[in-house]
Amino acid sequence: MSALIEVDHASKWFGELVAVSDVSFEVGPGVTALLGPNGAGTSTVLRMLCGLTPPSQGTVRVLGGDPRRDLELTRRIGLVPQQEALFDNLSAFEFVQLAAVLLRLPDPADAARRALDVVELPADDKRPVGSFSKGMRQRVKVAQALVADPEVVVLDEPLTGLDPRQRLHLIALFQRLGADGRCVLVSSHVLDEVERFGSRVLVMAQGRLAAEGDFRDIRELMDDRPHRIRIRTDDPRRLAAGLLGADGVVGVRLEGDATIVDTLDAAVLRRAVAVVARDRGLRLHEVTPLDDDLESVFRYLVEGR
Amino acid sequence: MRTLAPTRLPIYRLVLRSQVTRARLAALLGLGLVGIVVGAALGASPRADLALENNLIVPGQLLTGTRFVNTFGLSLVVPVTALVFAAAALGDPDEEGTLVYLWLRPVRRSRLVFAAAAASFTVAWPVVVIPLGIAAAATGGGADLVTGTIGSATVALVAYTGIFCALGLVTKRSLVWGLLYIFIWEGFVATAADTAAQMAVRTYSRSLLESITDVPLRGTFVDTPASIIVPLLVGVVALAFATWRLTRRDID
Repeated sequence: MSALIEVDHASKWFGELVAVSDVSFEVGPGVTALLGPNGAGTSTVLRMLCGLTPPSQGTVRVLGGDPRRDLELTRRIGLVPQQEALFDNLSAFEFVQLAAVLLRLPDPADAARRALDVVELPADDKRPVGSFSKGMRQRVKVAQALVADPEVVVLDEPLTGLDPRQRLHLIALFQRLGADGRCVLVSSHVLDEVERFGSRVLVMAQGRLAAEGDFRDIRELMDDRPHRIRIRTDDPRRLAAGLLGADGVVGVRLEGDATIVDTLDAAVLRRAVAVVARDRGLRLHEVTPLDDDLESVFRYLVEGR
Repeated sequence: MRTLAPTRLPIYRLVLRSQVTRARLAALLGLGLVGIVVGAALGASPRADLALENNLIVPGQLLTGTRFVNTFGLSLVVPVTALVFAAAALGDPDEEGTLVYLWLRPVRRSRLVFAAAAASFTVAWPVVVIPLGIAAAATGGGADLVTGTIGSATVALVAYTGIFCALGLVTKRSLVWGLLYIFIWEGFVATAADTAAQMAVRTYSRSLLESITDVPLRGTFVDTPASIIVPLLVGVVALAFATWRLTRRDID
């Protein structure tokens, strides 16, 4: 893989707050997803890649240059920032054309029309972007990032606010850009969203790189970890007694009217619960995984718990 | 061969467009209107033909008009208007999060800053200088007062635009800090000592007004060339600082 993005032991702190801690990775052509819960440091990494903030320690190289110092590099990097704000009194065409002018494209109007066409927005819509829906604004942001056909495209939560059809359209667009040899780095905190990119994944948690590799490997790793399930029944003690010794169960405890079960295989446990409940005549009220949220997954990857 | 589109003009136009909001214009034109009304009232009120000021005999209307322009125009309208527009020129995009769309382009930071400041000056000048010029004329102070008002207000506006443009990039509370500078530093501290006065734009604009109208004003000790050159220099240096700041700071 020829690396278009190289991050070497980069850290970033804001006063006392360590946003990114000793992160190293390389990204080549294709789509790479940067996955992390809110506050994991993904946006800071993306900002460092675009030169919006310098690393406090370590180095960040994009296309062989320093994005913070090399002004000409901005021509080759397209960014979709996380914040929603746009120049609200401009139309979508004016907004994207402004980007094209500042990027010194030979025919800014034509470039703006093409970029808007890519995100399925009409160039002749005179309405100011301030009146646009969240999804439309998001697409305007993508259009301005792509207007100069950059080699590196950095997208911070680009699918936020889009309807399912628009999501599919943009995901297909990102995949197409990746297949064309562009380096597309997309951040997200939605696991299923990242799965659809079907790509290489960098997982960040608590400012550190927790895992990196193919999404399927990460998913497997996530599925193999221990799970904690809360079960409510009309007789938690009898249920707990029945589950002790069941396949895959590594721990059982009572918490009020609930039975909390630690298991290595959630699917096997669910079957065991059904059998125990049937055999003992118990009525099941609730079977809820307590750690299926992304935060728990990241915590497991980072801390192994 | 196709020529590449220049980058300075679009930034200038963009900031210009975002600066002109109805609320801002209404408030500041209202302030200018108050000046015109007060100026007309001063002009209409009976005055002695000649007055003695600091051992100098000056026309009464000119004395009243000059004092009014100094107090209302140079001390209040000019700095406050400059603050409202200049602090917002880059401060608003910074606060809203749209600065990234200008910063992440191959445009020299100095170009960005100077285009934004120029846009701010373009909006502020007619809003502040024209009503003040009319107000000065309405006082009956004569052509010298009108010239002095336009000249001193313009020179002061350049300095304030630079200072407040930079302030907009330094702090998110630029309006508060700007008002503190105008009223506490310039209006209070700078009146107490000559050293402090030298670091107040108002000293220079007032001196210029005095030299053009020949009406002695308090706290003026700067000669005419300095009263023009220093504020212009202050404006440029402040914009250079803003450029430096924009180059080194984090962008959200």
